[in-house]
Amino acid sequence: MLDDHSKYLLSEYKERLNIYKKVKEIVVKELYGIISELKMMVNSVEARIKTEKSLSGKLELKGYKYKKIEDITDLVGARVVTFYSDEVDKIAALVEKKFIIDWDNSIDKRKMYDVNQFGYMSLHFICKIPKELYYDEAMPEINETPFEIQIKTTLQHAWATIHHDTGYKNDIEVPREYLRGLNRLAGILELADEEFKNIRTSLNEYRKKVTAIVKSGKYEDAELNGDTFKAYIETGVYDALNKKIAEIGDIEIVEVSLLRFLTVFKLLGFTTLKDVDDMRKKYQDAAYQFALSSLGGKDIDIISSSTGILALCSVYIIAQGYGEIGIKKMYETLYGERKSNDYSAKRAVEIANKIGLLNKD
Amino acid sequence: MEILKNVDGGTLCLSVSGRLDNTTAPELEAHKEALTGITSLILDFTNLEYVSSAGLRVLLTFQKIMNKQGSMTIKNVSPDVMEIIDITGFSDILTIE
Repeated sequence: MLDDHSKYLLSEYKERLNIYKKVKEIVVKELYGIISELKMMVNSVEARIKTEKSLSGKLELKGYKYKKIEDITDLVGARVVTFYSDEVDKIAALVEKKFIIDWDNSIDKRKMYDVNQFGYMSLHFICKIPKELYYDEAMPEINETPFEIQIKTTLQHAWATIHHDTGYKNDIEVPREYLRGLNRLAGILELADEEFKNIRTSLNEYRKKVTAIVKSGKYEDAELNGDTFKAYIETGVYDALNKKIAEIGDIEIVEVSLLRFLTVFKLLGFTTLKDVDDMRKKYQDAAYQFALSSLGGKDIDIISSSTGILALCSVYIIAQGYGEIGIKKMYETLYGERKSNDYSAKRAVEIANKIGLLNKD
Repeated sequence: MEILKNVDGGTLCLSVSGRLDNTTAPELEAHKEALTGITSLILDFTNLEYVSSAGLRVLLTFQKIMNKQGSMTIKNVSPDVMEIIDITGFSDILTIE
């Protein structure tokens, strides 16, 4: 049951719903702008206006605490959920620049725990929209309306959501055994957040190193994986073969991703980029002859950029003696099981025979 | 060449028979207009005997349109047509069932 003061606050809330809607819209737009400026991927950006039911509940419990409606700072709330813990600070730095921060009511819960305590870790800002950012003469209340921005990691968010699901509003209400369990989990998740960040940082460093190795041509030092193969392809290593094939006629080359061929190289047992590059060097002439024979007489003037590498893989597989079974397996690996794989494999071996590939090596 | 058209909600099925070559490819391309609002394009090649570069270009155009608004699947491709799709590297562009 609400007292008269709480009823008054509730009526103020209802009158201002259009203002809250506008504040929410501006905040979401600015948060997306911040994320875009940082060139960051985040898990989610969410915003909500407190429901009448939720506000009534809050007023029933502690309506006496609020003199005016602006004293309730979470009527509009937004939440950014990041993947990595260091991204929370990067977003926070721009939120501080973009909005007016009420420092007395903002909380960095990450800093409130003692060294031997673990619990809810999140950054809560209470903000207002500065006039330089948005001002509408007809709705000056927009700049007077406080709102909350929470910034936290995915794991912090998961913990908070599950904690909230227990139904307790305050930790002192939670039975000791469960509270201890929740806090133990908070510690583990903090550790996991730190590890995720470290893995991301190491991976970025690894990718830079890989690009340098590939550019230097030290392929024997490059383990064959998605990163090394991507860097290898990006050097345009198959362009010359494709261009040579295209010169058969006035053939246009449509660019496609060649990354799926990594699965074929793995299937062939290649372990380093050197294996891939040795194969290219040794079989590029045979691959050209193979493509020439395949395309000949078919009046083709368009191919994709995978034509060269597909011909290379085909001639290599046949030269290794894997025959139709090997070619069929290659097609299955690349494109899945298709009725035509048997026929395509048979044709590939016929073409290889025609160009005398099976008489070499 | 003959093209049979069947629309079911957001799905458009074009059954193409005969030869898809320089002469007939514009006929298939004319169905580009029918792709508005379509989220699933199915090309049934059960009775398609041959596809030339002009035909591949139309398939590429359709694929680019459908990449933006849904999906495109080619079904029942004969071995002869599949051979052309494979050797031109179009298997890396088109989705074939």
